[in-house]
Amino acid sequence: MAGKLEGKVACITGGTRSIGRGMAEAFLAEGAKVVVNGRDEAKGQAALAEMGAGDNAAFYAGDASKQDSVEGLVDFTINHFGQLDICCLNSGGVQMTAPVAQMSDEEWQLEVDWNLNHVFWGMRRALQHMIPREAGRVLVTSSVEGKLGKPGIPGYSATKHGVNGLVKSAAQEVGTLGITVNAILPGLIETDIVRATGPASAEAMGLESYDALLDVFAQESAIKRLNKVEEVAAVAVHLASHSARNITGCMFPVDGGTMPY
Amino acid sequence: MGVLDGQVACITGGTRGIGRGTAEAFLREGASVVINGRDPEKGAATIAEITAQDGSYGDRLHFIAGDVKQKSDCEAVVDGTVDRFSKIDVLFANAGGASGHAPVVDLTDEAMQDSLEWNFWHTFWTMRAALKHMIPQEKGRIIAMSSVEGKVGKPAISIYVAAKHAINGLVKSAAQEVGPLGITVNSVCPGAIETDIMLAEGPPAAEAMGMTYEQLLDQFAQESAIKRLNEVEDVAEVCVLLASEAGAGISGSLLSIDGGSAPY
Repeated sequence: MAGKLEGKVACITGGTRSIGRGMAEAFLAEGAKVVVNGRDEAKGQAALAEMGAGDNAAFYAGDASKQDSVEGLVDFTINHFGQLDICCLNSGGVQMTAPVAQMSDEEWQLEVDWNLNHVFWGMRRALQHMIPREAGRVLVTSSVEGKLGKPGIPGYSATKHGVNGLVKSAAQEVGTLGITVNAILPGLIETDIVRATGPASAEAMGLESYDALLDVFAQESAIKRLNKVEEVAAVAVHLASHSARNITGCMFPVDGGTMPY
Repeated sequence: MGVLDGQVACITGGTRGIGRGTAEAFLREGASVVINGRDPEKGAATIAEITAQDGSYGDRLHFIAGDVKQKSDCEAVVDGTVDRFSKIDVLFANAGGASGHAPVVDLTDEAMQDSLEWNFWHTFWTMRAALKHMIPQEKGRIIAMSSVEGKVGKPAISIYVAAKHAINGLVKSAAQEVGPLGITVNSVCPGAIETDIMLAEGPPAAEAMGMTYEQLLDQFAQESAIKRLNEVEDVAEVCVLLASEAGAGISGSLLSIDGGSAPY
């Protein structure tokens, strides 16, 4: 059976591991060609080797919080594979989060650049390519924190709310051009980035441990567990496929029943 | 190999429109499917049409006649699914519609009652019956047919808007109740799709709203980002995703399949 994404080309910010990697593997399995991105060249090459997709996958080194890297990924993908059909703006996170009263300008700026500006830069560049072709999919990895707020992560919550607004507006702009723009809102998934920054985030949130942080997210869901990479990847495949051509401006939850709306 | 191999699904309605499209998608993915409708002749015709596409569907497709406005029929469709295929993994409470539209000031009790039974009570009755099977097996998927009108309101169709909003509330509570048991409960909220039920009920609804049927369809299209109506496939394929193993982490969601119409 032919894959759902035969002949399609995707790029994914932050695609060497975790959610982005899951998307990359799912897209490849459905017949797409994929460019993954990350800061570290060695990690990127390791990811390519592990995925074993040969010429169907490529790596572009770059920092998703930097405009030239994000635009460079889009341009590289178009040059390398000849087109861009699916632009996944997936990278994001926090470094040393803190309550508003203690938030540093530097952390705030990093989170705005990484989570919000990165999505804008990538989306703008991708749309400039997609609009003349009258075809395309923009997928943004948002979060339950795009609809909720928790103490100690004000930048993450603010920027994820921001990308949701950006997605809604952009969807209205290009809806008649065969281009959809959607956000996926996962609950917490224990990715490498969460393992790396979770302990500091837990402290900023006033929790006693990293495990307590994971438990807060699990307990606020209906399913009482964290979400999984494959659950997000399956939704990404669907939204990227022809079957989802009439779904746009959607805040697609993958949160086990956490968000109130 | 399909993503629903070995699963058993029950779909209220299902001889035409969205239910029919979803039944065909579930069959393609390997599930066994019970469809339902009031008219046994239409049921037999639907079975013949679907099995003509692929003979292997014959053993996996079954029709149970019943009126979803009747509690006993709703329960019989769910229990009949278990009788026929030994279990129920997926319930798609899909049937629905409304007639007797009018502004609230002129609305009859009968029209409100009818819409609530057709949409809301039917969803509740089938959901409750299905959960009695799903809770002991600690596995299940319930998908309720809501609508963009489950999130927003339009004048003169309050019987539909109220019933669909109520379904969304029911879904949110039920999802919380059974979340740790491996059972998800979600609703799909499509924009307007020109199904047979829309062709039948759309013109009187338009009249109550003070416009022609074409103007009604155009209003739905224009309030979307894609400026066109939705299609059966849009909903059917989201139902496949929700019913599949990969959908296990999605619950309590009111999924907008509306081309960018609903504000949330």
